[in-house]
Amino acid sequence: MSAGSLAAILQPRRRTRREVLRDWIRSRRPANSWPALVGLAGFAAMLGLQQLIEPGTQRLVTAVFLFVALAQAWNLIGGYTGYASFGQVAFFGLGAYTVAVLMNNYHISFWLAMPVAIVAGVLFAVLIGVPLLRLRGHYFAIATLGAAEGLREIVNNATPITGGGLGITIPTFGDQVPTPYFGKPGFYLAFLILAAASVAACALVARSRFGYAMVAVHEDEEAAGAVGINTTLVKVVAFALSGAIVACAGAFYAFQQIEFYPTDVFDASFTVLMVIMVMIGGSGSIAGPLVGAVGLELLSQFLRVNLGTYNQLIFGAIIVLVVVFFPQGVVNYFREAVRTRRFSILDNVRRYRL
Amino acid sequence: MIAPQAESATPILEVRNLSKRFGGLWALRDVSFSVAEGQILGVIGPNGAGKSTLVNLITGLSRPTSGQVLIDGRDVTGLRPWAIAHDHVARTFQIVKPFRGLTVRENVAIGAMHGNERDQSVSDSLATADELLVLVGIAQHANDAPNQLSVADARRLELAKALATRPRLLLIDEVMAGLRYAEIEAAVQLIHRLRDSGITIVAIEHVMKAIVSVSDRILVLHHGSIIASGAPQDVLSDQRVIEAYLGNRYAKRRST
Repeated sequence: MSAGSLAAILQPRRRTRREVLRDWIRSRRPANSWPALVGLAGFAAMLGLQQLIEPGTQRLVTAVFLFVALAQAWNLIGGYTGYASFGQVAFFGLGAYTVAVLMNNYHISFWLAMPVAIVAGVLFAVLIGVPLLRLRGHYFAIATLGAAEGLREIVNNATPITGGGLGITIPTFGDQVPTPYFGKPGFYLAFLILAAASVAACALVARSRFGYAMVAVHEDEEAAGAVGINTTLVKVVAFALSGAIVACAGAFYAFQQIEFYPTDVFDASFTVLMVIMVMIGGSGSIAGPLVGAVGLELLSQFLRVNLGTYNQLIFGAIIVLVVVFFPQGVVNYFREAVRTRRFSILDNVRRYRL
Repeated sequence: MIAPQAESATPILEVRNLSKRFGGLWALRDVSFSVAEGQILGVIGPNGAGKSTLVNLITGLSRPTSGQVLIDGRDVTGLRPWAIAHDHVARTFQIVKPFRGLTVRENVAIGAMHGNERDQSVSDSLATADELLVLVGIAQHANDAPNQLSVADARRLELAKALATRPRLLLIDEVMAGLRYAEIEAAVQLIHRLRDSGITIVAIEHVMKAIVSVSDRILVLHHGSIIASGAPQDVLSDQRVIEAYLGNRYAKRRST
């Protein structure tokens, strides 16, 4: 290679957006498009499934969709960016209460209240993210946990607006309802779209420049800064994206529940489930949180129906076993196993032991 | 851009009275120098002389206790690392810092995705990365994980990552440490090629032979202060520098 071509490398490639798009379309092959195709097929299958199951069962599947969206959202900040937030439920409660307050107190349509809830999530993420994202590891985890607890107490005590500990009710009866209730089939569809949109959004983000920036921040912030990545901006935007999705999920959840209390929508077990689902499925990928959320929520419901009293105990024991045997997450384990052709689970445990 | 510019032109890098104190220790004390565009400046000195601290201060990784850093005559003291990178300044790390979860190719592409000289799309950046991997000689490892690389190849990766940002000023922190003779030759050639394509280079180095053959000027740091600077042969034949900072053995070998 001559010095001339070196100079060429050192010039940025300036193609127009149209050229980039054209080349992207031309480069589409089954080999590089299958995740999107599988996703579309899954979406279609879920639409078909709805026709086959009872409304009561639809309600259970709706919970799976909810957790798919929540796990994908947590993965953006906790997985890709490497900032394990233990306060994402704050956004859930914030979204839920924004919708409930607007619909109940001001009779605003859900379709107007829901976007406001997303904006509230973004603003809250920026507000707490700017100071808290300076902390790392356990410090960040504890600080976000505190922020969520704090927000719950504010909602709990702002009785004139939120109804406080007595809870809040979204009007769904009478002539003056802001938005007619969706019903079980309607919420099945709503949460399916929410889950699909979250998966698609996270997949697009992960493959973008910003996605690479998140991973770079995760791996080494000093090295990321040295190649021109504004690490503070990346962290805050990732946190805000995550918060927006969780707040949106909270908004739909609030409308579905109609009536709820601060302890319901600020329940720390939502955060814990998000974390566990991502960890079990495998963080830092799209498939990981998807598998984790679907697998754990289905397992949890199966155990609740079939085991009665001891379902939580068994559920916990299974989580412990999966974490011990697949510390990197189930999806990441299978990826590595297929690549290296080593399927031994004992080897896997040895590889990741401390 | 290729030929070194006249002395009167604004230097691409100017350091004025730069000092850094860690507790009671002055890691760097009152250091001033400038580098003209197209020059290669070698920085040498024993361990703990303040060489890496100097790079960290220039690239915004840490803030100086006092003094100024100017890029193209503009004061950039205290700016964040990414902002300095956007001013076309790139660096390598002495202790290599690959992004471990990504492939070698993606590691390099990240540099071409951000900053002022970025490519239009991720696929363009990946193509840029492929060319840079050929340039530094690790194209065969494009799809490997960075932790599979040898020490020498990991340093090449560091260099490719830095080049991907399309710097005008490149600070290389001991990229030749631990390399074999032939590898050093190749690295020296590469550095000359980079300079010929218009990049100004500040090279911190322990490998004496390499730094002498590569540098236009050499600056010797000791205990955080500049004790000598000038043309490589002048600096290295300075008896004081030889004895005190390159060790007595080197001094004896030279005199026989």
